[in-house]
Amino acid sequence: MSHEKEFSDERLNAFVDNELGAQEREEILAAAAVDAELGQRLCALRASKELVSHAYGRVPAVRHKPGRRVSLWSGALAASIALVAGVLIGWQGHRASAGGAEPLAWAGSLFAPQPARVLIHLDSSQVDRMEEALDMTEAYLAKAGRAKVELVVNNSGLDLLREETTPHAARIAELARRHELLAFVACGHAIARYRNAGLDVTLVPEARVERTAVEHIVDRVRQGWTYLKI
Amino acid sequence: MKWLQTRAQRELAEKIEGNRGRLYRVAFAWSHDAALADDMAQEALARGLAKIDQLRQAEHLSSWLFSILHRCWIDHLRLRREYLDEEALAELPSELPGPDGHVETQETVSRVRAAIAALPLGQRQVVTLVDLEELTYAEVAGILAIPIGTVMSRLCRARGALRGLLEPVSEQPRLRSVK
Repeated sequence: MSHEKEFSDERLNAFVDNELGAQEREEILAAAAVDAELGQRLCALRASKELVSHAYGRVPAVRHKPGRRVSLWSGALAASIALVAGVLIGWQGHRASAGGAEPLAWAGSLFAPQPARVLIHLDSSQVDRMEEALDMTEAYLAKAGRAKVELVVNNSGLDLLREETTPHAARIAELARRHELLAFVACGHAIARYRNAGLDVTLVPEARVERTAVEHIVDRVRQGWTYLKI
Repeated sequence: MKWLQTRAQRELAEKIEGNRGRLYRVAFAWSHDAALADDMAQEALARGLAKIDQLRQAEHLSSWLFSILHRCWIDHLRLRREYLDEEALAELPSELPGPDGHVETQETVSRVRAAIAALPLGQRQVVTLVDLEELTYAEVAGILAIPIGTVMSRLCRARGALRGLLEPVSEQPRLRSVK
């Protein structure tokens, strides 16, 4: 006996997705027990599900280059900023800002005459990500001139601002010397966790501490800052 | 900082941060572009943090973030495509790289990704949310702002298409010979 007509594909999909009630499940299970073709249709649907899940079990890691993210997604970033700040920007504005190929080009123009404000967030001590955070900071400052920029670190990203571990003390000092509107911010929770683990934490002199990085980030985003996670 | 004074809200902000990996994975499944997926996850995270006080029920956090990711994706497509309406966007044929002539030699993951890439956008979104994130039909309907019936029909069409595209992988030839 064939159940081709009786059980639609939608119903069988709902079965393998666990969307049916107990009674409907029973009906399909009972039918599949005596109908090999129905059983095979269910198997094929389950196989499809597993293949899709398997295909994205491991996705490629991405580490963007400085400027890449901002230039690509500038329209949407602007949208979130507009949302938070309550600034009305028409879609024409988005398109104009998204069309520019030059990295970071939007920063000065979109928010002029008010200086742009950008928070860059690092939560890793990986060498390339530390460098990326500083590259991004520097690229932004170079482009946007009077921009306010904060580099906020938490978790193992704290290592960037620890005298004990940072490979970039001289670069941080130089950046801070050249840009008075640049701030380096360390997460108070991260510092406490390090100390609880018996590690010394002496911050570079340019750094200041906020209670937690996440609170600070949320606060800044709500004030209209652009948020970039490294 | 008044609005973030409670411990619950602070934890919520941290949970939003913690969803970055999931957002990235789904964004990658939709776009097959690692840099774009990273941008979309980043943008969804930023929008989520900005709108954190709009989330009333913490248990709906993932669905809420995926719906923001969906808006990011639609915004991105609109920027590129002169304001298509959402229904038209959902039916957009794929522009992603499809299976090539050497498909027989590719590993399973590549084949499946190529098959997903060949699906229209709306089907690609539904099948990845259901199969990758194991979300319910109701959650997917909420995320994509479409009726549950549309979720079911898109899923049905997507799996039908995948079945055809993946036959050598899922050993369909024997099945078909029975018919």
